[in-house]
Amino acid sequence: MLEMKNRISEKVRFTSGEISKFIFCPKGIRRALAKTTLAIALIVLMAIAGVAIYLFQANSQPQPQKYQLQGTLNIAGSTLVFPLMNSWTFAYHQLYPGVTVNYNSIGSGGGIAQITARTVDIGATDAPLTSAQYSALPATVVTIPESISAVVPAYNLPGIKNGLKFTGDVLARIFLGNITNWDDPAIASLNPGISLPNHAITVVHRSDGSGTMYAFTNFLADSNSQWRSKVGYSITPNWPTGIGCKGNEGVAGCIENTPYSIGPLEIAYVIENPSLISYGAVKNAAGNFILANLTNIAAAAQAGASVGLPAGNASWTHVSIIDNIFNDTSAANAYPITTFTYLVTYQQQTSKTQGMLVVSFLWWVVNSGQQAGASLGYIPLPQNVVSLDDATIKSITYNGIPICTPSLCPGS
Amino acid sequence: MFRSGNKIDKDSIVKVIASAAALSVIAILLAIGYELYTNSLPSISKFGLSFLWTSNWDVSKGEFGALPFIYGTLLTSGIALLIGLPISVGVALFLTEEVKRSGRLSQSIGTFVELLAAIPSVIYGLWGLFFLSPFLKNYVEIPLNRYLGFIPFFSGTPFGLDFFTAGVILAIMIIPTVSAISREAIRAVPNNQREAMLSLGATKWEVISKAVFPYARSGIFAAAILGLARAVGETMAVTMVIGNVPSISLSLFSGGYTLAAVIANQFTEATGKLYISSLIEIGLVLFLIALVVNVIARALLQRHQIVIRV
Repeated sequence: MLEMKNRISEKVRFTSGEISKFIFCPKGIRRALAKTTLAIALIVLMAIAGVAIYLFQANSQPQPQKYQLQGTLNIAGSTLVFPLMNSWTFAYHQLYPGVTVNYNSIGSGGGIAQITARTVDIGATDAPLTSAQYSALPATVVTIPESISAVVPAYNLPGIKNGLKFTGDVLARIFLGNITNWDDPAIASLNPGISLPNHAITVVHRSDGSGTMYAFTNFLADSNSQWRSKVGYSITPNWPTGIGCKGNEGVAGCIENTPYSIGPLEIAYVIENPSLISYGAVKNAAGNFILANLTNIAAAAQAGASVGLPAGNASWTHVSIIDNIFNDTSAANAYPITTFTYLVTYQQQTSKTQGMLVVSFLWWVVNSGQQAGASLGYIPLPQNVVSLDDATIKSITYNGIPICTPSLCPGS
Repeated sequence: MFRSGNKIDKDSIVKVIASAAALSVIAILLAIGYELYTNSLPSISKFGLSFLWTSNWDVSKGEFGALPFIYGTLLTSGIALLIGLPISVGVALFLTEEVKRSGRLSQSIGTFVELLAAIPSVIYGLWGLFFLSPFLKNYVEIPLNRYLGFIPFFSGTPFGLDFFTAGVILAIMIIPTVSAISREAIRAVPNNQREAMLSLGATKWEVISKAVFPYARSGIFAAAILGLARAVGETMAVTMVIGNVPSISLSLFSGGYTLAAVIANQFTEATGKLYISSLIEIGLVLFLIALVVNVIARALLQRHQIVIRV
């Protein structure tokens, strides 16, 4: 009996020993547990360190603004300004980490459609709104010219570098298909001393809708009555001749691939790739042949704006630097094919928080942002346009009260 | 309600899910057609059927006609078929008749051909713009133009971005589809047909032309139509090499435009109700052409019970 009891207790002890071994002992589990603990400890330490660093930085760095804005700003539109917008939204986010700016580069038409439907806060367009587009809007908008673009006649003529001279009339006749050969007297008489090849001209242009083509055809329409009546100006003109290539890079590629071709190119491409492509000088109202550069493009914008621009909330349909300086002989150093791109937003904002974001971003773009753009090869707005834009932004209201405050609009 | 272990209930769940999936595909197709139709109503009511055969596309004057785009689409697809079909049938014959069908050579060449289908079309476009276009211009178009320029197709000034280059790019792009289906059609030819010919003392060419082709003909025809459907809808590669000129010209060396290309080019910056709805109507025309072509091809394939493996 005792023997039996002993045996049982022994057995029980043995069993409980096994259980305790199972719970606490096996090496694998213990090792895994140790690893997990270490990992958790590390994560916690890192988190503490992160918070500490964050707090330290937040305390040590001077705050650019008195208070931080929070929220998301939605902008949609022009593909032309996308690279510039991209750098702007990045730089703005650095300054206001609480604000996310989304730029949807869906095209100017899409930008205008979206601002009309109030699905975005700001629309971006290369051409000013047409009167039909203005009348479709549910409320008054303000138009803010925020960047400058220019168009150059780029060409591929073996042996001939930058600076072939053109007038608007000669360009119009080339793009109408009336001048078909490079050694045509009309081109030759503008370029004495340059031996032009006896070769047919291949005309290249954009195939997609573009503010660049709007500006170029605007200039041709001013320069040549046949162009004005036959083609007019449009972001998608009905080209009388030539080959269409997709996008600014597409036009550049087509010109580079095709000797004896000519095509209108947005200035940013030739500034970024000066060795790839040659481009010509264009005669301005003062009679000077101007080879486009940052200085003479800014001069054109300055001169064009000084002729007079409408108030921000008025109609901008007929605004054109090209038209304004077309007969302005005093602008001796102005490049004649210069144009604005625009941002459009409602004058009366319907939400205070969104309104503050809109005003803050617009103010930053037309003031400090211009210098950020300049470092990327974009042309800063001249002072008279900045002043007009500042006045326009100050006129944006919520509930009848202007949104701009010294902290939202520094320097105002 | 759905007790576990009850086989009938599980079956009915699967049936409901599967039929919903099947019906949703039909619903999507109908919804696309409906949406295209309703959005193109402004243009349809303004231009009526004349939209299809007027050739003026002038945005600033508000005149829209689709004929140059329809012409360009059909012409480039035609060129693609003219070049792509013989090559595809050649590939199919090689893979089925010339080398051991399940051999390593047949398998690896077959894989390479199918890899052509895996290349994104924008890559074809870039390659077309920077390599194929100058190459064709210098070594094909200029000689053809010089010696055969009296034929209207080869007249004009070769530029490299034109109907011809677009057709060649499309030919390359349809080869995987056409050759894969042609191969299946040729594989479906019963072996006793070949054996009967061989036993009569026929050469390999006679076997192919008298036994294999007549039997596989409608399958190859269907393959061609499916290739056509692919060519009709191709957008990006064509846009980059066709020159994008809305004109109708007999010369293969002049720039053109296709239905898909004009939408891709102009839709983003399009403004104005009539302009946008005209572009959508172009989409509707393209949708209908692609639908009809596909239905014909599939009907042909079904009649000859060829399984599409693409």
